[in-house]
Amino acid sequence: MDQDEILENESVEKILSPHPLSFMGLQSLCIFLIVWGLLVAWLVNFSDFRSYFINPILIIVVWAFGLLLVGVIASLLTVLWRIFFIYCAIVGSGIGIVFWLGYLNDSGVFLPVFTVVISIIGFLLVECFRRSHKYVISNQRIIFKGGVVVKEERTLRYDKISDINSKQGVLGQIFGFGTIIPISQSGFGLGADTSFAAGGVQAGKKRLKILGIFGGGREVQTPRTRSYYELHGIFPYKEVKKIVENLVQGSVITTYQQEQVKFQEEQVDLQKEMRDLLKKQGTLNRSLNNKEEDIES
Amino acid sequence: MSASPLDIIVFAPLAPIFGMLLFWFIQLLFIESQKYMLSGISKEHEPFIRFTNFIGIFFQTVCHALGYTVTKHGISEFYIGVHYGKVAPKKNKTGLFEWLSNGFLFLGPFFIPSFLLLICLFFLLNNGFIFYPLESYTFSENMIVFGNNIFHFSYSFFSFLATIDFMHPGHFGFFIMFILLGLGIRPSYIGEKTVKKVDIFYDLKNIRYKLLHKPLYIVFFLLSAYIFSYLSVLFNLNWYVGLFSLFGWLSIIAITALFFAHIFIFLIKVTDLIPGTFRYISLMLFPVSYVILRILFFLVPIPYITTISLLLSIIITSGLIILFLHSLTNTFKFSEPMKSHKKSK
Repeated sequence: MDQDEILENESVEKILSPHPLSFMGLQSLCIFLIVWGLLVAWLVNFSDFRSYFINPILIIVVWAFGLLLVGVIASLLTVLWRIFFIYCAIVGSGIGIVFWLGYLNDSGVFLPVFTVVISIIGFLLVECFRRSHKYVISNQRIIFKGGVVVKEERTLRYDKISDINSKQGVLGQIFGFGTIIPISQSGFGLGADTSFAAGGVQAGKKRLKILGIFGGGREVQTPRTRSYYELHGIFPYKEVKKIVENLVQGSVITTYQQEQVKFQEEQVDLQKEMRDLLKKQGTLNRSLNNKEEDIES
Repeated sequence: MSASPLDIIVFAPLAPIFGMLLFWFIQLLFIESQKYMLSGISKEHEPFIRFTNFIGIFFQTVCHALGYTVTKHGISEFYIGVHYGKVAPKKNKTGLFEWLSNGFLFLGPFFIPSFLLLICLFFLLNNGFIFYPLESYTFSENMIVFGNNIFHFSYSFFSFLATIDFMHPGHFGFFIMFILLGLGIRPSYIGEKTVKKVDIFYDLKNIRYKLLHKPLYIVFFLLSAYIFSYLSVLFNLNWYVGLFSLFGWLSIIAITALFFAHIFIFLIKVTDLIPGTFRYISLMLFPVSYVILRILFFLVPIPYITTISLLLSIIITSGLIILFLHSLTNTFKFSEPMKSHKKSK
């Protein structure tokens, strides 16, 4: 953090970055690509089923089908269609290169190598994304920074934090990292889980066909935000959580402190009244003295 | 072969029980040894210990929940963590249901991981799952058939391990699962917090307590075993010996998995002994040498490629680890010959 970014009387407690394994959701998509690439390579070149893959089109179909199937499943589970579109792009570019460069007869070798290379690129991109995150915990605020191309920044003062959500997955429990989402009074840090159910009905066999779709939705507020607006996958989790909670508690006025402030305000009012009374008395005394002096003269 | 009624009624049912107990006891010894090795590296490799704890706790908790579900206790609370797992029943039942749920909790962690591996082996082994028929229902015949069942399975299983092909996705996946489950076949916790000491002596004390204070558990178990044995005799089937042979197979899988887990833990321990950049060489040597050998034998084909590659990789790994330990550490080094030390004493 640059010195010119530090405010008056501000001291930095910790500068953090996400743990290397904290983006396992994205990394697992790359791991799958490696596994699938190797599996296809074994299936079409070395397995007992290799005789079925004499036709190169079948290799392309099997390779693409596996990728798209996992893409759909991953997208449905994470409610992120981005994953499916990325896998679609990989399939499209792979098939495009095969036909463009005339690798159709070598697709049993080219497609697995292509998949592994893409997964390595994916790993590098995820690592760049992880390294773009920077969290600064100072005695006055938390600064969240992130974004590879477009730089995002969020500053949150401790007195504006209304709630703290913490979570630690299995990997986090093993390696000691976790995510802390500070929710602001404006609701920044809250997301929504939406579920929708639909069903279709078809009546009649030959002529009459009635199709009906019934749906229903439900939305649940849940602590969720982008990784550069939360303390994502920070290590050591327990220590950082304690620091943040202490700083939040330190900026919150307790009931006793509120009574003290009220009492002090009353004291100030009393003192002001006394000052005004003393001023009045002073002016009265001065006017009396003047009158006495006038009488004497 | 003539068999006395006393042998058939009293002694014959005990034969497979003794056999199974023998293998289970060996399994307990291996578990104890693994716990000792893990506690030795617990300070340097905390995440690894937490991971092994998680596998163990996962199976223990799942077995606990399974026990409550099967016995219709219901589950009101379920939690699995790295440090502990918790399953609370909805209803508290006593008698047979309580015994069954306790049985799941007590025996599940020892046999459920091996059972998962056995299911995988069902698709990988060619002819290991054979139950030999019984000629007569005597103690000796039961013992011989139990031994034959165990031998046949062990032969197929070890042949598979000796010819395992790490380039085959099925074999590779099985081996990874084999090591991972081997690390977690133990119903206990190792870590920074001393929760409760659960070791072999605890298990033995528990068994002794059950024998002395709750003999009904043992009576119920023996009664069920004898009834099942008599039913097998009545229908002229080998089901009774077959059931205990199945438990024997599970123990053999568990013992072998624990043995491989021992080797893996040793390789991790070696990373602490070797300093500097060569630190992780012990973990890298085997896969790297195996891949190089397989590529070499793909270009220059020879018979028994998988076994020879495996054997050479093991020799290369062991040899180079000894070499590294000798050259980079004080292990295997003596400033003076040992004989002179002995003489001076």
